[in-house]
Amino acid sequence: MTAEELGIGIGWRAEIDLTVERLPGVEFVEVIAESLRPARLPESLRVLRSKGIPVIPHGVGLGLGGAEPPAPEGLAHLAACARALDAPLVSEHLAFVRAGGMEAGHLLPVPRTRDALSVIVQNVRQAQAALPVPLALENVAALFGWPGDELTEAQFLGELVERTGVGLLIDVANLYTNQVNLGLDAREALDGLPLDALAYVHVAGGHLHEGVWHDTHTASVPPDVLDLLAELCARTRPPGVLLEWDDAYPSDAALAAELDRVRRVVSGG
Amino acid sequence: MPDVGEGGPPDARARLAAAQRELLAALVAGGPGPVGFDERRLAIQAASLIAKRRGLVALSAPDLVGSLGGEFPALFASYAEGRPKPPGGSRADARAFADWLAPGPAEPPAPRRRGFWSRVRETRRARRAST
Repeated sequence: MTAEELGIGIGWRAEIDLTVERLPGVEFVEVIAESLRPARLPESLRVLRSKGIPVIPHGVGLGLGGAEPPAPEGLAHLAACARALDAPLVSEHLAFVRAGGMEAGHLLPVPRTRDALSVIVQNVRQAQAALPVPLALENVAALFGWPGDELTEAQFLGELVERTGVGLLIDVANLYTNQVNLGLDAREALDGLPLDALAYVHVAGGHLHEGVWHDTHTASVPPDVLDLLAELCARTRPPGVLLEWDDAYPSDAALAAELDRVRRVVSGG
Repeated sequence: MPDVGEGGPPDARARLAAAQRELLAALVAGGPGPVGFDERRLAIQAASLIAKRRGLVALSAPDLVGSLGGEFPALFASYAEGRPKPPGGSRADARAFADWLAPGPAEPPAPRRRGFWSRVRETRRARRAST
């Protein structure tokens, strides 16, 4: 194991709770914060914590890339999750999820303008002030781009890191998605990102449908995404790498094999 | 909130709010496509949001979805196109979809609960009949 700090992990989901407990070599997990009740943690997470496995609350609903400041109750929930799990950090997304009273039900990309950046810097600072542990922000997968972007995603995230001290959760599958769908060069993105702020990394599989990559988290990680992980490892030693699998769960053996593939890339083998 | 002048966060918030509202309305509420976006990509994103909603509704209301069989995806698409996800998450979405399928009272009227003494009388009748 060459990764420091966190190691190799997998997204904990209620549907695969026993699998995650039993999988060999799981060194940390992530749990969707909105699915948790901090006062009544699932037995499986308590078992993992008792074994010393770090559990990172991963928020999907704050909408830190939105025009509204993050909701105090959402921040309080994320903070309570962090305390209940004694988490070393929490993570969320550079995305907006609602606007004008409408819910997207999904993580949508933000316009990468200096104007939007000034708002999102404030949102992130408000979130940081309400959280008991450091926050890391994840780059999202996009099916479309905004016209009039002034900054690349790497520059936008770099500015956020510079001005707020936020950490980065780099999803290399999302970089790959944006490369396929929007022609944004993933290696250039890795070159431009401030990797000293790297908190950990996501990998996942998806599906190509009519020329568009859908980051579904329901398939084996494609070689192209593992190649990007290797590119990232050539630039820095990631503190942790986590496999996301969200539905259409395969056998325990298949998940263990997936983690082995990730581990081999991280250890340079 | 302190006003930091032209271009400062209060104005920037209003501009970001307007841009995101217009885009989201196009994606989930049948609004016009905002200028400058790739319309085909917005259509793919809109369809993807509906597919995600459909998956969550299938988890929330398996009986309803099972009863629709292979018709479910097309019916759900007709329901969801131009209709944002209601507040209350996927269970509310499932209820709204059920209402859309069969307009009428949202909940079937609760059966009148029988009074306690009607049950006492019935029990006594049954015991007498069996002896």
